[in-house]
Amino acid sequence: MAAEDARYRQSSQYRLWSFSPVELATLREKSNALAKASISERMLSSNASRPASGANTPDGDATPTLPEFLTPTEEALLVTFYTSEVLRAGNHAGYRDAIKATAAVFFRRFYVTNSIMTYPPNDMVLVTLFLANKAEANFVNIGEFANKFGKKNAESILAGEFLLCQALRFAFDVKHPFRALKGAVMALRRIGGIDDKRINAAEHRAHEILCFSPLMTDAYFHYTPSQIMLAALSLADRGLVEQLIADTFHHVSPPGTSGPGTPMETGDAPPPPRRDTKSEDKATIIGAWIRDKVLGTIEACRDMLSKELPEERREHWASQDVFAAELKPLRKKLNKCRDPDRSNLLELHRRRREQARIKAETEDDDAEDRGAALADDGAVFGDAGPRDTKRRKVGKGLEDPFGGPL
Amino acid sequence: MNENEKRKYIKGRKLGEGTYANVYLGQLRTDPAVLVAIKKMKVQREQDGIAYDAVRELKFLQELHHPNIVELLSVFNSKDQNLNLVLEYLPLGDLESLIRDTDRVRYGAADIKAWMGMLTRAVWFCHDNFVLHRDIKPNNLLIAADGEVKLADFGLARSFADPGVNMTHMVITRWYRPPELLFGCRSYSGAVDVWSVGLVFAELIIRTPFLPGNSEVDQINRICQAIGTPTEDNWPGVSSLRSYAVPAEVYPVPDKKAWMDRFGGVGAEGVDLLCKTLVLDPNKRITAREMLEHRWWRTDPKPTRKEDLPRSKDDGAKKMGADLGRRPGAVEDENRGSKVARRLDFGAK
Repeated sequence: MAAEDARYRQSSQYRLWSFSPVELATLREKSNALAKASISERMLSSNASRPASGANTPDGDATPTLPEFLTPTEEALLVTFYTSEVLRAGNHAGYRDAIKATAAVFFRRFYVTNSIMTYPPNDMVLVTLFLANKAEANFVNIGEFANKFGKKNAESILAGEFLLCQALRFAFDVKHPFRALKGAVMALRRIGGIDDKRINAAEHRAHEILCFSPLMTDAYFHYTPSQIMLAALSLADRGLVEQLIADTFHHVSPPGTSGPGTPMETGDAPPPPRRDTKSEDKATIIGAWIRDKVLGTIEACRDMLSKELPEERREHWASQDVFAAELKPLRKKLNKCRDPDRSNLLELHRRRREQARIKAETEDDDAEDRGAALADDGAVFGDAGPRDTKRRKVGKGLEDPFGGPL
Repeated sequence: MNENEKRKYIKGRKLGEGTYANVYLGQLRTDPAVLVAIKKMKVQREQDGIAYDAVRELKFLQELHHPNIVELLSVFNSKDQNLNLVLEYLPLGDLESLIRDTDRVRYGAADIKAWMGMLTRAVWFCHDNFVLHRDIKPNNLLIAADGEVKLADFGLARSFADPGVNMTHMVITRWYRPPELLFGCRSYSGAVDVWSVGLVFAELIIRTPFLPGNSEVDQINRICQAIGTPTEDNWPGVSSLRSYAVPAEVYPVPDKKAWMDRFGGVGAEGVDLLCKTLVLDPNKRITAREMLEHRWWRTDPKPTRKEDLPRSKDDGAKKMGADLGRRPGAVEDENRGSKVARRLDFGAK
């Protein structure tokens, strides 16, 4: 067990992407503050330069007033809403659970160190889903991928990809709780004496929870995959988790302490104190202490998951009323305070590459690659060349506005 | 964050140039005595964004930390959005150059045991972390300054698939590819890597590739002749694999004596281990973990201490540059097939 823990601590999920709630909140506040500062600066400087080029601005809004910015709390709400969009898009495309889950985790990680005001969440939904396919070893062609979501504009997806990789700190492995659930189910069957129907029902419900609740909350930042799995299983059937825990810590005691009628079967009572040898007493105490710690962690994670049960998808996140009341105002606010320099990923990408090209004039070993890309773009976009920058951003409509494939 | 990582290193001379990446020598800015290798991925093709090879390589190198697996020290991107992987510097070349330099490099059973031990531990560690390497071969086994063998190039690696999820069978450089992949199997296990380990083992002993097939059909023929024809008798279910096809003449699985005649240099226990890695039926093939528990390691001679292992007479740094710059041995999409074919002809006349 110790070895397994040590191994988990080497994972990028632990090294780079595990935080205490306070740390996480601080990071988000920092990202929010940084975004506010840099967007203010850009808005003021573009406002200041405007009068020089002409007197009238169409909206008559030449005063250098700044919009109201999103608060960290509002950002968090929007991130969660767009996480539900990631999952919805993944469902629409029929991707495997691991791909959808990885995409959702990528999305939430991206917006820990980046503000939603800086980079457009609409675009990042598809970018994360695209990269998640690669990370989960599912080969997808970018053209087909874009088509699935009714996007003519595959380039905006590619434009955001590198940005995402950087924000993820080039760590693409996400450890999910799905396999842990399969393991727990096997362990439950091994215990024996539990109705198979009950186990199956719990597995089904727990799996459904794992596909939604931990992804819509900060569970992956705070808990290990096995803790998340046990919390989900506990929401599905608390008794089964108690049996698993009892069974696990039952084995911690040295052989001989637990005879046939161990009081573990009901699962809720700790073993009564035994008047055995000293060493056995010690083993029981250590076991009980760790067990209580584990139970406490599972309980805390369970609380977190219970705030976003799978039913919320339909009743809350897909509800028109909720959208109109809570999300629409925020999106309106977002539209006013988004970064004028970075809200168009394609333009940003083009500019950065242009800068790089000027800088790296000497190295020209990518010339042939560009030719190939050009030919392919022509096929995907019809007459538009790859340098056409005024392609308009398609809204978030996930349905294909042009109908099915020809 | 990116700038900080970039500034940590000074990029030096080019060690090698490949279809896949250029490799540079680098040093730590704060301590120039510390050398690193910087693998700069070539400009990505625009059409599908960041290359799958690069995503795979990063994904696994970020997670796997083991003395026998090449260590990823840092990643940053240059201005032109090229990925730069900072890897530990491995200046003593690779196993391939030791195997091939029969004139100048002499080694014996104790040395082979040391190298095989390090290779087996690396593969065990991958499998224990649910990772298939899928491109084990002598020129992906690099050697550090202290003689430690390091498994490199995770461009074809992937996590174990869940039951029911298919994987591509177009992986592993042909000479090291197991029969189940040659027969088009899309659901496989760590046994594919174990077969490659077995062929590296055989090659270390005879100092030439054991099964250098020049096409997939030829590869199957060579396997049949040297290791026996896969049949329903020795491998239940094999005939229902997608591209199962074997030569009309059925070759028997050779007996111990035939193996001893050719590979006896590593002793009877060594030959026993070799045979177990080259079992046709992947379900009966030894696992990496079982390999580590084999008696051979505990029989004489003891493995050579890594510091005392024979060293390559070539420029090892250049070799590292070439090895890391190459595209991984085989790829899944067909339009790159031509490149792969050319690539696989290395060493052939």
